[in-house]
Amino acid sequence: MTSPAPGTLDDAALVREVADGSHDALAVLYDRHGDAVFASASRLTSDRGLAEEVVQETFLALWNRADTFDPTIGSLAAWLHTIARNRTVDRLRAAGRRPTLVPLSSAASPEHGEDVPADALERVMASGSIVAGAAPVRSPEMELALSELRSALQDALIEMPEAERTVIVLAYGEDLSQSEIAERLGWPLGTVKTRTRRALARMRQVLGSGVGPEFARYLAPVRRADRDD
Amino acid sequence: MDHDEVLEQLELAAVEPGGLDRLTAGDTAEAAAIAGHLAGCPACATDLERLRRSVPILRDVIRTTPSPELRDRTLAFVREHGVARVPQAAPTVSAAPARPAPAGVPQPVANARSSMVMRTMPWVAAIAAAVLISVVATTAIVTTAVDSRLTAQEDSIRALEYVTVSTIAITGEPDVERVALESTAGAASEGTLMFSPSTTELVVVADGLTEPPSAQEYRCWVEVGGERVNVGKMFFADELAYWVGDVPAVASLPAGSTFGVSVADVGGASLDADPVLVGRL
Repeated sequence: MTSPAPGTLDDAALVREVADGSHDALAVLYDRHGDAVFASASRLTSDRGLAEEVVQETFLALWNRADTFDPTIGSLAAWLHTIARNRTVDRLRAAGRRPTLVPLSSAASPEHGEDVPADALERVMASGSIVAGAAPVRSPEMELALSELRSALQDALIEMPEAERTVIVLAYGEDLSQSEIAERLGWPLGTVKTRTRRALARMRQVLGSGVGPEFARYLAPVRRADRDD
Repeated sequence: MDHDEVLEQLELAAVEPGGLDRLTAGDTAEAAAIAGHLAGCPACATDLERLRRSVPILRDVIRTTPSPELRDRTLAFVREHGVARVPQAAPTVSAAPARPAPAGVPQPVANARSSMVMRTMPWVAAIAAAVLISVVATTAIVTTAVDSRLTAQEDSIRALEYVTVSTIAITGEPDVERVALESTAGAASEGTLMFSPSTTELVVVADGLTEPPSAQEYRCWVEVGGERVNVGKMFFADELAYWVGDVPAVASLPAGSTFGVSVADVGGASLDADPVLVGRL
């Protein structure tokens, strides 16, 4: 009798496999939760390097402590999120820094699992800039649609040529200027600008095609060739 | 400076934090040329606003997307530093000593009593989570003005995402109807209303509305049988006013039905004020 493939198991079963020493099971869990753990950490710090270290330490903690995970208490996603958050805050404190953002989105996103009530998010959002306070309550369908939009943008980012992805990640992810990117990479400034614009065009294409014409008009600059003027 | 040159400068500036403000408010010859072009070119001015709206969303996605290489590095990190486990405790596994659990990693409580409490009284866990989030949120909000500003930006991004995905959902309905909302006063405001008679879901967005006077708010309504039926109060995210929700009245609207947005007293029932935006089915 053969064992089921790791990819067909639920999280709790995979954690048991990890506790038994299966690196394949850990890889499947990374594929399921790695992006969310990174997102959770990166929303607390603008330092991508720190966020990546938090991901590594979070999955190391999962490996080392898999046998203590109890699925009747909470989801694996919530557990990983808690570890990631604590590790991020510890790192920031050690460096004398503060979290840069309230993790609003993570409070309502899948990495929190079902452990966080929706009204908590509403209370947090009510303190923000949205006039009239009442925060949107997302249905599961909305969460799915939002997830798909972000996935489409993430896919565009991951699938673009490495040179283009590099410049746009350095610009948006690390807040480097075009000149600073050119200096860091040793590329001519003109090359950096060209690659940045190509990368933006790919992302814009997703915004234009992925969110419908109303919001494409709202969010994405119209190319001259598409204009009437 | 032509349209393409202006767009290029705007796009490159938008990538840098505060870049658009520096470019459009700077005192360089380039800034003056761009400002001059924008002043006389509504299309490029519109592009500037679109860039301002889309950049925070793109920035958030890019910031929160890990590099593809992180997966392999993480798995290798665990192989190198993780505790040796059966059956992988073979000689091929790194002989590095197991590190103690990192400080701050929460113990997953396996206590039977607390587990039972959580299962039988889920509201205890809910309240605990809510308090935790409130504390975290409050702490971060009061720390610095910068944090507050970032929080406000984050809120706006989430609201824009919410409206966006609502639009995606409703435009996926085969019977979706669209109504263009136009200003009645010749102002620059405009809007779009979308609804599905079968699901009765409705999304309305408006751009260019100024914030309402104190103690007043914008209300969206639909006129049925000569009477205005309240749809809802318009919320603001950044400069976008919106309302999303279920409106049973749209299930069977006759052709020619009118939608509008009017100023109303907060909490008041009257929708009689002249509309600032209006559209006809």
